[in-house]
Amino acid sequence: MKKLFALLLAVLMVACMATAMAETTLKVAGWDITTTPYYEAIKNGFEAANPDIKVEWVDLASQDYNIKASTMLAGGDTTDLYCVKELSDMQNWSKEGLIVPMNDMIAAEGYDLTKYAGMDACYVSTADGQQYALPFRADYWVMFYNKDLFDKAGVAYPTNDWTWDQYAAMATEIAEKTGEYGTHYHTWLSAVANWAVCDGVNTLADGEYSDLKYFYEMYQQLEDEGVCMSYDELKASGLHYSGAFAQGNIAMMPMGYWYVSTLIGYIKDGTASMNWGIAAVPHLDGVAAGSSFGSPTGIAISAASANKDAAWKFASWMCSEEGAKAIAETGTRPAYVSEAVASVMAAAEGFPTDEISAGALLPTAISLEWPIGEGVNEIKTIVNEEHSLIMTREVEIDEGIASMQERAAEYVK
Amino acid sequence: MTSTQSESRRKMSALEKRNTLIAYSFLAPNFIGFVIFTLVPVVFSFVLAFMNWSGGQNITFAGLDNFRLIFKDFSFAKSNLGIALKNTVFYTAMTVPLTLVFALGLALILNKVRGAGFFRAVIFFPYVASLVAICVCWNFLLMKNGPVNQILNAVGFNMKKSWTSSRDLAIWAIIIVSVWRNAGYYMVMYLAGLQGVPAELYEAATMDGANGWQKFTKVTLPMLTPTTFFCSIMMVISCFKIYDVVAIMTQGGPGRSTKMLVTYIFELSFGGENIATSAQYGVASAVSMVLLAIVLIVTFVQFRGEKKWVNYM
Repeated sequence: MKKLFALLLAVLMVACMATAMAETTLKVAGWDITTTPYYEAIKNGFEAANPDIKVEWVDLASQDYNIKASTMLAGGDTTDLYCVKELSDMQNWSKEGLIVPMNDMIAAEGYDLTKYAGMDACYVSTADGQQYALPFRADYWVMFYNKDLFDKAGVAYPTNDWTWDQYAAMATEIAEKTGEYGTHYHTWLSAVANWAVCDGVNTLADGEYSDLKYFYEMYQQLEDEGVCMSYDELKASGLHYSGAFAQGNIAMMPMGYWYVSTLIGYIKDGTASMNWGIAAVPHLDGVAAGSSFGSPTGIAISAASANKDAAWKFASWMCSEEGAKAIAETGTRPAYVSEAVASVMAAAEGFPTDEISAGALLPTAISLEWPIGEGVNEIKTIVNEEHSLIMTREVEIDEGIASMQERAAEYVK
Repeated sequence: MTSTQSESRRKMSALEKRNTLIAYSFLAPNFIGFVIFTLVPVVFSFVLAFMNWSGGQNITFAGLDNFRLIFKDFSFAKSNLGIALKNTVFYTAMTVPLTLVFALGLALILNKVRGAGFFRAVIFFPYVASLVAICVCWNFLLMKNGPVNQILNAVGFNMKKSWTSSRDLAIWAIIIVSVWRNAGYYMVMYLAGLQGVPAELYEAATMDGANGWQKFTKVTLPMLTPTTFFCSIMMVISCFKIYDVVAIMTQGGPGRSTKMLVTYIFELSFGGENIATSAQYGVASAVSMVLLAIVLIVTFVQFRGEKKWVNYM
């Protein structure tokens, strides 16, 4: 009997090992697979670390990714993981039980969620409070600046712990001394209004917009003094921010991190020829230096996946420091924040070599550009419309803010 | 006798069948395209107006909820539908007569002038030129320190803003571009109409001692009423569907000053500028039903009034 038991155990163990050794293939859905280099980098890095698991990207068209992925999930497709393009989709998927919560896996492994500058929080379901996805990519906003203009004006470069008041003073001083533009605001709402959400408390959907007043006043003063181009003219001429900064007559420009690779490309092909650097965006008194806003991209595991353990391995690797390094090597900003990842990014060809630029790669907190939830789309439209009236000076700042509050109130949940 | 009769009938019907089939086969390419790309979407959008749908698998019956939603707190000053309606009607009411006047004026001038071919081509050109290029150029012309404002400032106006940045002038920028663009097209219609006015009528008028103005009001204008009727119907319909110029020049702004029915429909279904998809296809379809109803009513009224003023020889 004992012998038989031992034999059985041995067979069981062999069977287990054989299963473990057998190759698993994970199917992962994403968009623009062939044109975005980090997908390949993630696959290669993960397969090298996990030789028993193969990764196969499923390419869905970018413009209807949300619909396609939702349909596949609802139809029980065998694809194991899905990149999360819209946060609202992730919330719907979690509510309908189409993706699995990761809390148990996170707890079992002691997986560290503190390295995402707070961006992991947006993947917590509003319905049951569970973590349904992890962020792997995050384009938060930084300040781009033209070192040549700073040198010409004899003004010290921005540091990573400067304030908005210092920023405005610097922009004005450079404009006065060089006759060029001290700063540049692209025509997006986010370029002016989103600074108010960097405190991590306020959002643009909370129905309370008096916190935007400071930034509108600052903008209008800079515009009146000719420190930045006027919204009116930018809007009418349709001047794109990428070309505007590349012309070399703008000292500073807050913009998303994605502009780094554009700018490196411009310097390489001769479109732009200035020395540039990045710094953390300025902060308000009482808000931690290095706070910014942005939008993450995440990865979630399908409830229909037959390989959930392997899928977790993949998701956790993709969002780990190792995965982040692989992503950073392709010039994309990973969500994972650490010295090691920052040094990979700083080592990219064409990236500024100074310490402040490298330091700007270590944000302290990133708030969501827009929160998720019902009514947010309506509020977005309202805020954008009233914003354009303030920016074109069709209404006074107070009037515009009052109108935002009045119109948004109906949709604030 | 009877057998041959029935035989010939059968033969005839076979031939008829063949002819009918051939006719249908010629119609088919166009008809299939129409069914797939026009009829099905129109019917689908009609159904959608009574549904809740955001593009996924869940589609639920909403009854009149979508209509209730868009008509909620309806006012021409505050609600989205009211503002879009007001702007669209204003745009149409200004664009149609202005275009007709310019088109007729140009047609009269270019009917007999020397080198007319060249000028006709020049005036027709905006209609065939790329709309994006046209709108971008006009944006520059109407800019804060653009040529138009400089001229206006020189003659005593005080223009401090780009037209597209002003709540009052933005819609006029759209109207100007539309009139400028469409005048050439409708000028061609009027030119054709002018060719059709018999020379005898003018001769008779001259004999009766009519002067130029009388000839114009008593002969030319009445004779052109069928053209005017056709042009105004076509233009009213296309004006109610205005989208492209707005999308390129103002994106409905500043604020909601150039929000039109179709830009509102687009915003509801695909999101506006810098706005992620909102995908309220049901609500958007409800608005498009409102648009359809308005266009139908306006066209119906126009046809009803036809007999009163349109003069067919």
